[in-house]
Amino acid sequence: MAAEPRRIRTVIVDDEAPARALLREYLGTEPDVELVAECANGFEALKKIGELSPDLVLLDVQMPKLDGFEVLELLEQRPAVVFVTAYDEYALKAFEVHAVDYVLKPIGRERLAEAIRQVRTRLAGPAAPVPSASALASAARAPGQHLERILVKDGANVHVIPVERVDWIEAQDDYVAIRADGKTHLKSQPIAEIAEALDPARFVRIHRSYVLNVERIARLELYAKDSRVAILKEGKQLPVSRAGYARLKELL
Amino acid sequence: MHPLLTGRLRPLLYLAMWVGIAALLGAVMVALTPRPIGQAAIFIGPLSLFYAFVCLSAWWVCRANPLATTPPPRLLAVIAGGSIQAAALWVGLGALHAALLSRFAHMGPDRIGIFRDLGVLGIAGIVLYAQSMAAHYFLLSIETARSAERQVFASQVTAREAELRALRAQLNPHFLFNSLNSISALAGSEPESARRMCQLLGEFLRASLSLGARESVAFGEELSLAERYLAVEQVRFGARLGFEKHIAPEAERCMVPPLLIQPLIENAVKHGVADRVEGGTVRVNAEVRGGTLEIAVENPRDPDAPPRRGHGLGLENVRQRLNALDPSGTRVDVFREEQSFRVRLVLPAIENGAEAPHGR
Repeated sequence: MAAEPRRIRTVIVDDEAPARALLREYLGTEPDVELVAECANGFEALKKIGELSPDLVLLDVQMPKLDGFEVLELLEQRPAVVFVTAYDEYALKAFEVHAVDYVLKPIGRERLAEAIRQVRTRLAGPAAPVPSASALASAARAPGQHLERILVKDGANVHVIPVERVDWIEAQDDYVAIRADGKTHLKSQPIAEIAEALDPARFVRIHRSYVLNVERIARLELYAKDSRVAILKEGKQLPVSRAGYARLKELL
Repeated sequence: MHPLLTGRLRPLLYLAMWVGIAALLGAVMVALTPRPIGQAAIFIGPLSLFYAFVCLSAWWVCRANPLATTPPPRLLAVIAGGSIQAAALWVGLGALHAALLSRFAHMGPDRIGIFRDLGVLGIAGIVLYAQSMAAHYFLLSIETARSAERQVFASQVTAREAELRALRAQLNPHFLFNSLNSISALAGSEPESARRMCQLLGEFLRASLSLGARESVAFGEELSLAERYLAVEQVRFGARLGFEKHIAPEAERCMVPPLLIQPLIENAVKHGVADRVEGGTVRVNAEVRGGTLEIAVENPRDPDAPPRRGHGLGLENVRQRLNALDPSGTRVDVFREEQSFRVRLVLPAIENGAEAPHGR
């Protein structure tokens, strides 16, 4: 028999101090829970979780900068997650990203203890499947809603790029190069996936390797038979395939 | 489609009226130039049927030159021109008809008789067409009055709906859930603060219920409701939530619809504080300028934040309520800058004690 129960190293993420205090107080009575950090926003959470590799994150959904789902999308390794929020409408999505539990505010001591019991079971069992970043990203959006900002992790930094600032996206091996505000950001994601998440009224897959923000188009020129180039307002030229031209025509 | 041609009864009545007109014209013609009644009927019958349709064209002429916007000289010209043209057409056709009848059927009066008949047609044509135009103008004005009535009714319904929505939104459940969670947290460590928050929350709920039941409230009362709300939120957000106000004393006495600025304050807290790591300060300014009350609610914003779901609903509600109150005397301006978001409401300044303009 195991002599010592496994310690659960835990991070609390909530932007409201009283909510953190309440969680801290309740967790104090769980002998095997060790609180290793408290974070007040998504950026901090990303940093601390990366540094400390906790076993459990108690995660609020609505926070400044990055919401709870976006934090999960950017994490490289996944601790067990329990969402703690006043909003019940994200519960379904929470389980889609394999959250262990979903606790509603105001929190009850017994309800949180129940969630911790489930965490113990989860941690003792086989490793839970980790959903792909894209599944997480799509879970962060409501059905029928399009991607509003693209998150790019660059070392310890996170760039939040609102989609309206994106000029075009180019496929590069396993990455996409996202061109926005004169800078290029690399993100590890297939171009088909990002193309699918973007609003089809604003972004068009003009070519196997390119997704273009249609507002940036200055004009289209015939380049050879059946092949065209899109000339952007800044002067850049991008190839347009026949299928891409058909999609563009449908939109414009 | 002409309104007379819709339905079954209306065209029949109209034609019956024209049978009467035809009979009258036929009688006049027989009196001027005696002939068998059958001959007069063959002449005037088809012509009257034709002119019955010509007179309907007045509907389109009237609609193209509405009474309210057409200057009287132009109106006279339109009526005179239309009537003369229609009558000329009728006289021309009458001449043709008379010629055909005398040549092929060898009936009808002599040349002088035909001239008399055509004279009758000309005079009657002008009078009938002018009357048709008058009747059409009358019908159109009834229609305008009715649609204006419908519009007033519709805007009243919109106002009621907007008020209901405002009241419903007032009991924002997430605000309550989060506040209860904060109270629960304070109850352990700072019981005095927990009690204070219970009291603030109670006061806010009571005030919002009692204000919401009234037709209009002094802006000062509305503002103190918002301040109670902010006091509750300050417990949650701590130093992240700042509040500043610059309110002219005369602005406080102005009457406004209840719970008008509350959704704007809530939006300001959500976007200007809750969505920003460093939080922010919600600013409310109000002043009276030349008979109008100007209220501005401002918050900082995160330029990277995407438009969140539900954004603009509160604002739309405010817009609808002001529009229903007084479409021409009220205005909602939105200033969306890179770093800040400001909404300005402009409405008539009516001081406490004066008759409220939005009584129903």
